Amino acid sequence: MSRTDAATRILFEAFPTAEVRLFYLLSCVAIAVFGYGVYVQIRKYRRGAAFDLDGGVWRRLADMIGTILSHRTIGRRDPAAGAAHRLIFYGFALLFIGTSTITLQYDFLEPLFGVRFWQGEFYLIFSLVLDVAGVALVGGLVYMMYRRGWLRLPKLDYARPDRAPGDPDFDRPQYRREDWAFLWVLVIIGCTGYLLEAARLVWLQARPDVWDTRWWSPVGAMLAEACVSLGLTERGGALLRHGLWWFHGLIALAFIALIPFTKVKHIFTSAASLLVRDPQAAQRLPRIPESQAQPGVQKITDFTWKQLLNLDACTKCGRCHEACPARAVGAPLSPRDVILSLRDFAKSTLESGAIPAAAELDVHGKSPGQVAQETLWSCRTCMACVEICPVAVEHVPIIVQMRRKLVEDGAMDPLLTKTLQTIHKTGNSFGESKRKRAAWTKGLPFPVKDARKEPVDVLWFVGDYASFDPRNQKVTQTFAALLHEAGVDFGILFESESNAGNDVRRVGEEGLYELLANANVAAMAGASFKTIVTTDPHSYNTIRNEYPDFGGKYQIQHYTSLVRELIADGRLRVTSPLEYRVTFHDPCHLGRFNKGYEAPRDVLKSLGCELIEMGRSRANSFCCGAGGGRIWIPDPVGAEKPAQNRIMEAAAIPGLEVYVVSCPKDLTMFEDALKTTGNEGKFVVKELIELVREAVPARQSVGAPA
Amino acid sequence: MKIMVAVKQVAALDEDFELQGDDRGVDPDFLIHDLNEWDDFSLEEAVKIKEAWSTPVEIVAVTVGPGGADEILRKCLAKGADRAVRVWEDAIEGSDPVAIARVLAAAAKREAPDMLFAGVQSSDQSCASTGIATAAFLDWPHAAVLTQLELAPGAKSAVFRRELEGGLLHEVEIQCPAVLTIQLGINTPRYASLRSIKQAAVKPVEVLSLADLSLSAADVGESGSASRVRSMYRPQKGSAQLIAGDAAAQAARLAEIIREFKGGSP
Repeated sequence: MSRTDAATRILFEAFPTAEVRLFYLLSCVAIAVFGYGVYVQIRKYRRGAAFDLDGGVWRRLADMIGTILSHRTIGRRDPAAGAAHRLIFYGFALLFIGTSTITLQYDFLEPLFGVRFWQGEFYLIFSLVLDVAGVALVGGLVYMMYRRGWLRLPKLDYARPDRAPGDPDFDRPQYRREDWAFLWVLVIIGCTGYLLEAARLVWLQARPDVWDTRWWSPVGAMLAEACVSLGLTERGGALLRHGLWWFHGLIALAFIALIPFTKVKHIFTSAASLLVRDPQAAQRLPRIPESQAQPGVQKITDFTWKQLLNLDACTKCGRCHEACPARAVGAPLSPRDVILSLRDFAKSTLESGAIPAAAELDVHGKSPGQVAQETLWSCRTCMACVEICPVAVEHVPIIVQMRRKLVEDGAMDPLLTKTLQTIHKTGNSFGESKRKRAAWTKGLPFPVKDARKEPVDVLWFVGDYASFDPRNQKVTQTFAALLHEAGVDFGILFESESNAGNDVRRVGEEGLYELLANANVAAMAGASFKTIVTTDPHSYNTIRNEYPDFGGKYQIQHYTSLVRELIADGRLRVTSPLEYRVTFHDPCHLGRFNKGYEAPRDVLKSLGCELIEMGRSRANSFCCGAGGGRIWIPDPVGAEKPAQNRIMEAAAIPGLEVYVVSCPKDLTMFEDALKTTGNEGKFVVKELIELVREAVPARQSVGAPA
Repeated sequence: MKIMVAVKQVAALDEDFELQGDDRGVDPDFLIHDLNEWDDFSLEEAVKIKEAWSTPVEIVAVTVGPGGADEILRKCLAKGADRAVRVWEDAIEGSDPVAIARVLAAAAKREAPDMLFAGVQSSDQSCASTGIATAAFLDWPHAAVLTQLELAPGAKSAVFRRELEGGLLHEVEIQCPAVLTIQLGINTPRYASLRSIKQAAVKPVEVLSLADLSLSAADVGESGSASRVRSMYRPQKGSAQLIAGDAAAQAARLAEIIREFKGGSP
């Protein structure tokens, strides 16, 4: 037998039987504690409300595995953290697999079937792989320590915007202690592993199967050489090995036992969260089941098990905290802290044997773990948090479910109350008569078809802002003229159109949303058309993603993609190219919600504009602040508004001429912000439609259907 | 304790409305209906009392109106009223506030509440007389335009405040039962979510006829009213014109207009 063939893992060599038994006993205790912890966690989730996952388990599993193996979501907007986590993940995974195979052979295959594979070349290659894995693990951990200790990234600061210094849960030092303990424990497990390897080599240096194959464990071998040169004897190596063996082993067992009770559990909870991810979480909000007595969430147990799992999946990475427009302007909201608050709340109420009385389960309020009204009403439902979360935490539905309870209690801004009543009464948020909805058509030199009375190819769902807001009416008329000139056979619903309800639903007034959605679905059922177009991304989102739940399944386009087609087909001809230097603001509901990033950019390109992107664009676009019903709630006086923050970002582009938007609410928000930030005269805010009009001069209609 | 709240379904004018054929009202096609704003405050005041005390308080919302008025009763039920009563018969059509008050007083006798709340006025007719006329028919004490109220269930009297001219306040004690008309701003009416309104739709609305209240057709409608609307019309708008030219021309034109206006010969 060659030295290589004889090589194998040294396990309990030279251990008295009593010590081996003690180790097995402690292992069993650790596994039992781990098992109990898992039970407690699962019991906690099961105390949440029922939730049915839609099918496709294999697709879900494949998505989850793909996301985890590629680290696709962890590397986004923070490639260094992604790389470091990749090292930790793969290092840890390989070490775990390696250690498991030892158990597999030593405790199962060999005693039961006499199978031995953990030897010879296989062992040596594995030994090398695990040594490299350990380096990866420790390297990744050290970078994470550097991030926390030296880079001190603002997103890793746990100070809360919704609490004041001095509040018991203001900056949560226990989180910091846990973060550091986690890093240190893993680093110590990794380093003592190498020292143990080195001590074993020194101790058994006389055995050729050990010593001659030492370079298959390069880190251990280097340390062993160093120890020998420092005068460590075989006997000293034996003692050191015995001590380190227990030290390393006990820490590792403690680590395993504590997984379900500490942030280490993210290994499981984050993976499970990815498994149950809903790619339409913010785009399509859940209906209230008929059987549910109270709408929304009042008690922690009103959250679904999936949402409770979401809470535990959070790794405090702070990306949502960084992306949130409300947080950026100092509003008392951080999506991270909503999740962490609720997580602490669930932990303190749902992990004990019995569930406390209902009164102690109320998640609304200002005590630690509760979420304040002001926090919930600060949300713009812009989806920046959901979009960037690497572990599929779905903040927006959680916030809207809590708002539903506030709406039921009438706990909202008086102006919002007024607006909801107005929408109920008149079907629009402007409080205008239904009869005036199509008043903008009176200024046109051609009649607009009534889709309720004659069939059309394209039904134009105009939406409230585009119908009633005087500034937007001009854009609406321009778009009508462009459609007319391009020969598009289109019509509108006149007074049968109601507010689409997208923002009403995101406010949390589900009953009113149902009324609006049903009214629009009924109105569209009475019209004959092939496709729908809208200039309003909010209407676009709810018609596209939410109306199907109300029996309305349509082909719908945002106008940007229709205009792109009309230009490509030559039905709109760019005869006076524009040479503006422009930037483009992605509307949340067009971009992040529905991935409509390219059409507006393609149109800008075909108009001849020079597009300079802002730092925050596409998926990372910064909300104008009007979403989620916030357009109906006044912003605090004196504080920066999200739209102002955004305009200042654009103002930093040298020589910028036009800030291009493609959403009626954006036009209102940004024209206002342009004035209030003192940028008026430096550049202008324009609807993409207005630029198209400039580049495609008005002409007689061509090819219009008779 | 029982509080009766008299409520009214009011009409608001839609854009470009038209008058109906007899020129005594607006074409119903151009009306948007809702709960009278003052009544929203008086109902809220009742619900606040109900919520503030552990002794049971029953709130009965009563309206005089056709079937369409059930909509506002449902809103009242959604906001916290326990029962809803609607009195109607076609004979009631054309009643003035005094005739309506006669019906409400009959309903109050039937319900025997400890207190009757009404809005100061309705937003469509602005007579501000129904509440007080009801008190007259009942021969109960009454007070108008309340801006603050303290009422405890079971108490023999209530204390309220009214605003007077010049920033003065009146604090008054009144014997129960009484009729109180409530001013806007006394509280913040709650929001009735669409869901709660929908749920209230399954609660019954008690519909009473005149006979149920021991009234006859002669007590209501035009025969039971003290006043009658003769006509409804839009007043002619005044007009203005800019007189151009030098001072002499302007003066000459002005004199001409005055002569035209006087209708006399030059």
